[in-house]
Order: sequence, then structure tokens, then C-alpha cells
Amino acid sequence: MKRGLLILVFGLIAAAAAYGCIYFACTAPARNMQRSEKPELAWLKDEFNLSDAEFKRVSELHSAYLPQCQEMCRTIDAQNTKLQKLLAGATNVTPEIEAALTEASRLRADCQTMMLRHFMQVSQTMPPDQGRRYLDWVKGKAFQPNYGMSEKP
Amino acid sequence: MKPEPNDEKLSKVLHEWKADSSLPRRFQEGVWRQIETASAACTATPSVWSVCAHWIGTLLPRPAMATAYVAVLLTLGLTAGWAQAHQTNERVKGELGDRYVRVLDPYQTPRN
Repeated sequence: MKRGLLILVFGLIAAAAAYGCIYFACTAPARNMQRSEKPELAWLKDEFNLSDAEFKRVSELHSAYLPQCQEMCRTIDAQNTKLQKLLAGATNVTPEIEAALTEASRLRADCQTMMLRHFMQVSQTMPPDQGRRYLDWVKGKAFQPNYGMSEKP
Repeated sequence: MKPEPNDEKLSKVLHEWKADSSLPRRFQEGVWRQIETASAACTATPSVWSVCAHWIGTLLPRPAMATAYVAVLLTLGLTAGWAQAHQTNERVKGELGDRYVRVLDPYQTPRN
């Protein structure tokens, strides 16, 4: 009975050890990506099998795009604040509100054009098949039909 | 067992002996009941614990059974670990992909 119990416990420990080893070994690349300086770029390199040279170029494009994106964020925030002020207490659509809404639409179009231009530049840096896959994926994420409508009231 | 020579005396006495006392009432019925009870106990379904104890005590220590048992548990552990890791990787990749788009899209970028 004692020998049987020892074998029973040994089997359970072996199973737990096997589970832990394979889990930690298989999730190591994902953990490394999460720990990297820019996890989203590490993911991009892994997902689209970029070579070091391609990744360097993509990283440069990324870094060049971010200041434009931040500037666009500030402009959008300022325009939204202006629109909210105009809307507060308004009971009619005034010419100022109309102009603010037009400006907000123009900003959105500018923003989407800027993003699309960046996505296309990035896709051209990748090997052709990966570039097409990247564009399909990113268009689905950033230009889906319910774009900007996911916020709950 | 080989009978001893002086056992002949005993055999003679036993042959001559006659029991004059009567059996208790329903003796035969009682004997049959005991036989049936013992027989039922032998054929009753064994408990889970007794099966496990029997398995651990007698079957598991056999080298072939022990090897098979450890191999099955190792396979189960490896398969479960791999499946769980696959699920975790998919989740992390999905999160990082979403993060990539959020970083680049001013309408999805988290504001401070």
C-alpha cells in the first residue's frame, strides 16, 4: 500500500510539474513581449514576422508618427471642449454649433487620413504578403463600421 | 492427518455416541439465513474506497501499471499546460494588438 501511495503521489507531482514547465516555456515569448519597452511594437514584429531591418524602419515610422498623433489628440480635445461649451444650455442649433460640428468632422477626416497614410507606409515596409495582411487587420480595427460608437452612455 | 493407533478408541466411542438433545427451533432456517447473508456480502458491489485501496495497494505497484499511470498523468499535465499557454498567448496577443491601434488612433488613445 505504501509503495502504491508513493507512486500515486509521484504521478500527481509529475503531472503538476509537466503542466508548469510547458506553460511557462510556451508563454515565455508573450511575457517577454509584455516586458519590452514598447510591447505593441514587439507584438507587431512577432505577429508579422518582421526582420530586424524591417522592424527598425517600422519603429522609425512609429516614432515619427506619434508626435503628429499627440498633436491631433490635443486639437481634438480642444475642439470637443469648445463644442461641449456651445452645447451646454443650447436649445437651438446656432451657426456657431454648426461650425463646431463641421470642424469636428473635418478633424476626424484629417485624423483618419493621417492614420491611413501611416498604416500604408508601415505596410509598404513589410514583405508584400505580410503588408497586405497588416493592412486588412488594421483597417478592420481602426475603420470598422461602428467606429467611434463603442462608448456607452 | 494420519490417525494415531489410540484413536481407534475414540472412533469407537464416537460411533456409539448418540445425541439425544434436540436442535433449537428453526435451526436449519437460521443456518440457511446465515449462508445467504454471507453469500450476499461476498457478491455485493464494493465501495469506491475499497476499489481505490485495492488498486493502490495491489495493482499500482506493478511496474507496467506504475509506468502507464505516470505516463498518462504526464501526458495530461503536458496537454493541459500547452492548452492553457495557447489560450494565454492568444489573449496577450489580442491585448497587444488592440494596444497598438489605441496608441496610433487619436480617437482611441487613452487621455490623461
